[in-house]
Amino acid sequence: METQFLLAKAKDKELAKRGECGGAISALFKYLLDQGLVDGVLNLRQGVDIYDGIPTLVEDSEDLMETCGSLHCAPTMFGDLISNYLSDMRLAVSVKPCDAMAIRELEKRHQINEDNLFKIGLNCGGVVMPLIAQKMIDIFYEVDPDDVVKEEIDKGKFIIKLKDGSHKSVEIDELEDQGFGRRINCQRCELKVPRNADLAGGNWGAEPGWTFIEVLTDKGKKLVKDAKKSGYIEVKIPSEKAIGMREKIENVMIKLAHKFQDKYLEENYPDTENWDEYWNRCIKCYACRDACALCFCKECDLEKDFYNDENEVVPDPLTFQGIRMSHACFSCVNCGQCEDVCPMEIPLAVIFHKMQKRYRDKTGFIAGVSEELPPLYSPEKS
Amino acid sequence: MVKEMSDEKTKILGFCCNWCCYGGADTAGTARMQYPPNVRILRVMCSGRINPSMVFKAFKEGADGVFVGGCHRGDCHYDAGNYKWNRRAELIKDILLEFGIPEERFRFEWISASEGEKFQKTMEEFTKTIESMGPLQRTFPICSVKQQGIKAK
Ligand SMILES: Cc1cc2nc3c(=O)[nH]c(=O)nc-3n(C[C@H](O)[C@H](O)[C@H](O)COP(=O)(O)OP(=O)(O)OC[C@H]3O[C@@H](n4cnc5c(N)ncnc54)[C@H](O)[C@@H]3O)c2cc1C
Ligand code: SF4
Ligand code: SF4
Ligand code: SF4
Ligand code: FES
Repeated sequence: METQFLLAKAKDKELAKRGECGGAISALFKYLLDQGLVDGVLNLRQGVDIYDGIPTLVEDSEDLMETCGSLHCAPTMFGDLISNYLSDMRLAVSVKPCDAMAIRELEKRHQINEDNLFKIGLNCGGVVMPLIAQKMIDIFYEVDPDDVVKEEIDKGKFIIKLKDGSHKSVEIDELEDQGFGRRINCQRCELKVPRNADLAGGNWGAEPGWTFIEVLTDKGKKLVKDAKKSGYIEVKIPSEKAIGMREKIENVMIKLAHKFQDKYLEENYPDTENWDEYWNRCIKCYACRDACALCFCKECDLEKDFYNDENEVVPDPLTFQGIRMSHACFSCVNCGQCEDVCPMEIPLAVIFHKMQKRYRDKTGFIAGVSEELPPLYSPEKS
Repeated sequence: MVKEMSDEKTKILGFCCNWCCYGGADTAGTARMQYPPNVRILRVMCSGRINPSMVFKAFKEGADGVFVGGCHRGDCHYDAGNYKWNRRAELIKDILLEFGIPEERFRFEWISASEGEKFQKTMEEFTKTIESMGPLQRTFPICSVKQQGIKAK
């Protein structure tokens, strides 16, 4: 399908107001629920504060009011939520590129049925860990993190809005130089527009109050067309200038990601001794495996007696992380979940991402993006 | 102590496919071709049966080198097992490197049942390589505790 660029906003006044950029995404969800085209919408709702993003299954379109807006301190993952708990439902889901990548890998492995799913993409510049966000707001903004009512990332700045209505912003570069800002895996992430979803919405290239949508599949095209016809969204064609601007920002972000890949996967990459130190911390809690959307085997090799040794205080990294790597690293989508959940702060996504990059250089397979399964699963004689 | 270590026999584990490489080893044996006794052979039905876990386990249990032998391309008795193995082997190499095990310690070859000589030569060569590298010293700290004979129990 030829890609299509649109500007869109919700017709519903309340959705337009509450939405991050005109509420077009929420309006598409509303259309799908109202028409009975899906049984539920999987997206995020803000919990007690802006640092608390809660995955939510919306079944009544009225409840979409509670899920409007972007949460940038919510490092969530929808891939395994769907495959583990919602695989029998017809769903629409808001996906960051890494969500969409994990979903694509799961679809190829028949863990998610593509036909049951509308993948509504969100461009993504990255996510900040909740605790890091609170710390940096305290240190760099000199503000009580509890006084922040809204956050936003725009033009290279992390911007916060306070209870009294005032705004404060700090350059993301400055935050990241000091070890704060976006998750390290997000800094390395080069898929900024989820072109593996049905459509991708974002503020790049959009006028205030509108979302810029890139329509990517026939399913997405039909959805936008029908939602417009039924009066859920208003649509207009963006100017050439807006399209160019969006492309330019995307390219700058990709370049930046490559710079961070060089930094974290080459220049600052831990050597074997450093890795031994990291592995030596492992308490074998299996959280990394449990959090990884790609680790879904019912019988896990890591739990077989054969690879376990009761004399080991710490698991041998070769038969623990090494085995997990041999099953998952070539398909790693660099979502960062393993690293986020590791209680011992082992930089797991760094090694998995590096290995997928190496695999990609050798075979051309791009995890989460390529249409076919990794060549390792191929029956071909080649 | 140090002397004792270096005197210790080099340990090599060879996974050989039943239909070809194992036959090659047999041919070598029947023809009384000498090959180093350091090589312990494990017969598997096909190189495609071998997964990375098995290779990692071998190194964990103290192998200084791991060899895998399968049928020549096009000769696999299960059609494409050796092609699958070949792709897997490339990944194994990369993972071993991340854990400080150089690729020279892991070798795979295509050897047919009639190639007794190729089997013998390969084993001699591989054993020489491993001997020149010395015993595998895993740097992982917990392993070194085990090597000194201290048990957690
Ligand atoms: C973490 C993050 C980073 C982003 N970075 C960029 C960027 O760099 N450039 C760009 O052009 N656009 C970016 N966007 C997209 C942009 O902020 C808007 O979401 C988009 O323009 C749609 O606006 P809307 O008003 O139509 O969405 P809304 O109608 O407000 O709907 C947004 C939907 O996204 C869901 N959602 C909120 N947070 C998350 C999350 N963390 N993960 C998954 N779903 C979520 C909400 O529950 C809601 O359903 C980002 C979005 C997120 C969530
Ligand atoms: S890994 Fe990429 S897609 Fe996922 S949150 Fe980070 S920047 Fe966004
Ligand atoms: S290995 Fe880690 S970063 Fe890679 S897909 Fe799994 S959880 Fe995500
Ligand atoms: S999450 Fe961390 S501590 Fe737990 S098993 Fe994985 S690497 Fe080890
Ligand atoms: S049967 Fe020998 S490699 Fe498959």
